[in-house]
Amino acid sequence: MGGEKVTVSIVSLCVGLIVGYLGQRSRMCTIGGLRDWVLVRDTALLKGVGAMLVASWVIFSVIRQIAGSISGTGLLASGTTPSSLSAVAAVVIGGLLLGFFATLSGACPLRQHVLAGQGRIGAWAFLGGFYIAAVVYTSWIEPHIGSWVV
Amino acid sequence: MTAGTVTPAREGGAESPVRIQIRRWPRSPVFYGIVVAVIAALAGQWGHVSPPAAYGLCSACHGRDLLNWTLNHVEGTHLFVTAAGSHWPLLTVIGVVLGSFAASKKNREFGSIDIGGNLRQFGLGFIVMCVALFVGGCPTRIILRTGYGDVAAIFTLFGIAGGIVIATLSMRWVARR
Repeated sequence: MGGEKVTVSIVSLCVGLIVGYLGQRSRMCTIGGLRDWVLVRDTALLKGVGAMLVASWVIFSVIRQIAGSISGTGLLASGTTPSSLSAVAAVVIGGLLLGFFATLSGACPLRQHVLAGQGRIGAWAFLGGFYIAAVVYTSWIEPHIGSWVV
Repeated sequence: MTAGTVTPAREGGAESPVRIQIRRWPRSPVFYGIVVAVIAALAGQWGHVSPPAAYGLCSACHGRDLLNWTLNHVEGTHLFVTAAGSHWPLLTVIGVVLGSFAASKKNREFGSIDIGGNLRQFGLGFIVMCVALFVGGCPTRIILRTGYGDVAAIFTLFGIAGGIVIATLSMRWVARR
């Protein structure tokens, strides 16, 4: 199910509008939390990250009880465990690089979209590279390294 | 003798403390975190934004889906699009930019600011997208997947945390040198 109806476009647009509005008001950034804590021991954004983590765990547990569509044992979903140690290493190193370069750019990708809507020129430059990389990655890079993380 | 009052009476008079509290909620990162988790989970479960699990909100994957969907329909290419966005496009990223634009206009915070370093931002955007697609989502979706119970996302989250700490400390080290 999913994907065949126009509902997908409407729902995703509404989700985006709500997230964009609240993201601009709250200045929330998923990597900014830890960065601010390391630099100046400011926990405002880190609390937001923690709230998102806890809330998503709670809501997915509730959905698991209601709909029962999520297979798995206990807290962990099935079919998501990396198959080998090299897959774990690839995922951890990928996460390291993601955190490193996102911090250098100043904000997480979602926050860059919010900054772009707010009129920040640097964020538009970031999004330019971001979307060119989307095509480059799916066309030329993913066929070679995409299977590393499975 | 004073003519008129220096500070005009506040509009609307006395507002109840509860309403003032509620009006401050959008400013709170905690409120943002809870709302994002809930609407992303609901969109993934009952808003047809699935099969990939916990796919309700992601700036990297949804952007990739929208761009590749557009290219597939305009240029006739066969780039990869997830099942959720294969028939109708996922408009999340456009919604985020428009929502942020509306919020900044409404509160008079919109301003075209150029702080330089745009070429650097362009290159960083390129790298961030490649790595984000490699690990399967932007940091926001990694958090959602961790809540969903994805084991790979838990490892990724630890990696991201380590990357942030390394980058922050190295930036401070460079700045102090």
